[in-house]
Amino acid sequence: MISTGMAGIDDMLGGGIPRGSKVLYSMEPGVNGQLFIISTIYEALAKDLSCLVILPHTTVDAFLHDAANMRGNMLDITGKKIAFIDMIDRERIQRSSPTRAVAENEWRARINKLCKENQVEVIFGYFDVIYEDFGLEAGFKLFDSHNSNQSPTVILEHLNFEGDSLLTQFIEKLSFDLVISIKASFGKLPHFNFFTIVHTSWAPLQKRSVPFIISNGRIVPYIPKIVVTGPPESGKSTFVASVSERGQSVDRSGLSGSSTTVAMDFGWLHWKDFDITLYGTPGQPRFDLLIPMLLKNAMGAVIVIDVTKPESLPRAKHLIHLISERRMPMVIAANKSDLPSRMTEAEIRTALALNKEIPVFFISSKKKEDVRFVLESLVDFITQFSY
Amino acid sequence: MYYYKTGIPQVDGISGGLEAGTNILLLAPSMSSAEQLAYALIKPVQGEYSIVLSTNERAAEVVDFFKFAGSDKRFVGVIDAITKSSTPSIVDTPRLMFVSSPTDLTGIGIKFSNMIESIFEGTFSEGEAGLFPPPIRFCVNSISTLLMYRKLEVLYQFLHILTAKQRKIEGVAIYLLNNESFDERTLSLIKQLMTGLIEVKVDGNDNFFRVSGIKGVKAEWLKFTVNKGQVTIIP
Repeated sequence: MISTGMAGIDDMLGGGIPRGSKVLYSMEPGVNGQLFIISTIYEALAKDLSCLVILPHTTVDAFLHDAANMRGNMLDITGKKIAFIDMIDRERIQRSSPTRAVAENEWRARINKLCKENQVEVIFGYFDVIYEDFGLEAGFKLFDSHNSNQSPTVILEHLNFEGDSLLTQFIEKLSFDLVISIKASFGKLPHFNFFTIVHTSWAPLQKRSVPFIISNGRIVPYIPKIVVTGPPESGKSTFVASVSERGQSVDRSGLSGSSTTVAMDFGWLHWKDFDITLYGTPGQPRFDLLIPMLLKNAMGAVIVIDVTKPESLPRAKHLIHLISERRMPMVIAANKSDLPSRMTEAEIRTALALNKEIPVFFISSKKKEDVRFVLESLVDFITQFSY
Repeated sequence: MYYYKTGIPQVDGISGGLEAGTNILLLAPSMSSAEQLAYALIKPVQGEYSIVLSTNERAAEVVDFFKFAGSDKRFVGVIDAITKSSTPSIVDTPRLMFVSSPTDLTGIGIKFSNMIESIFEGTFSEGEAGLFPPPIRFCVNSISTLLMYRKLEVLYQFLHILTAKQRKIEGVAIYLLNNESFDERTLSLIKQLMTGLIEVKVDGNDNFFRVSGIKGVKAEWLKFTVNKGQVTIIP
């Protein structure tokens, strides 16, 4: 496997990219996603893989400085097996080639020569200029080089003006093994970037969309907000507190003598390369006005229920209805399952009218490992959720 | 609705200025002061911001024009597609960003988004705040150069996205194109993306422009000069 250089994405892909694969990072115009291919180049060189980098849009020097600015450190190519074809080479080819066919042959000859001389294992290419010069199939054939052992892995970045129809062509006509589409939400102002794993040939993954931020020269997939809700005193604050590395709760003593949340719980944890923020809602109906605000931009929800209090489930059902309207991934944390008189899963499913896709986990929110397991499952659920 | 003043009485007096979201093609022959006219039209007035995509001049030269025209340089940003090819190590600042060549449409798109984002976030002007939502004037100087590096079809798609973003942020944009160097099909395709047109012509030693597509403004030829970023109409 070849690592993408982005741990969270490697996990989603089952460890990385199988050798010999054809990979596309498709960029929507204006999206700050150049770090995807740069991260993979840095990782390949760190693993001492022999690389060819094709840069028809820029010079090697400008590329190295841009990459260094993005990553925070210069790509160390001293003693590494790396070769380049850049825009100066492209200009030479254009000048010396009277026809497109001659240019195509010249490109192919150069790529083959470098692959053979350097026993290239990975070819990285910026495809949109090549696509413009030669079209999709002829352009891609230039990368279809063979050294003595096996076909190199080909990893392309492409500025995609044509949307999903072009991605379909990469998958169906060119048999690409991995297609990741990098997009941004651009409304009145640009507000978040996200990537979608559109296709993998080696694992039956569902289409996945995940937001990302760029932090310290790294792509960090993130779950901007997970909302933890449920009926009063079901254990939401304990749930948030027990898993968070940092957090805050705004509580007041409730009628039963235990504390109850009157504003919100907030927690943060970094886990499995995801930055996860948790927002715990108050459980009492008088705070329902807050819930739509807390659900705004949330990407998943945990509904905490008390399995010893069936009378609280109608309230839980109402909350589930609020979340379902937003077509948001959710899981049920059936809390206090270590106490006697607990309900069964079937009773819970019937009382809450749950569909079978929504998982129910029996936990004690006082146990960190139980809560982590619920979040792990929700994160998996979110990253496999089709938006 | 925000209106962008042009400083031209024949436009501002009738329509109140250019309506937010307007994209204007400035068609001009060489040596016609078209670049000065474009910069004069996108010079920011107080509270506004300007961004220039320059494929012909270095960022420092563009900023100098605006300084000379009396603009506060903290409200002017330049995406420079020239300097990096000779100075690869040059580093972006919030207002001066560099792409390796006019070929690099990926880089140009990203730098444009980054600048817009920093204007909205208030990190563009060294703590000085303009109006909010920010009125942004934008100039592409020039489409002619971009067409030397990329095919018309690709550039059309790129400009389609750029003009749409410009409308979304309710800015105003001027796109320069030399009408002597390209065929009718090219001009007609690029015109499809625009809401207004300014044509420039040279007659002897005099320059003229004509505005069309702006509500209420007569499409008549006006003799003009540009001095220190100010357009003067000569009767």
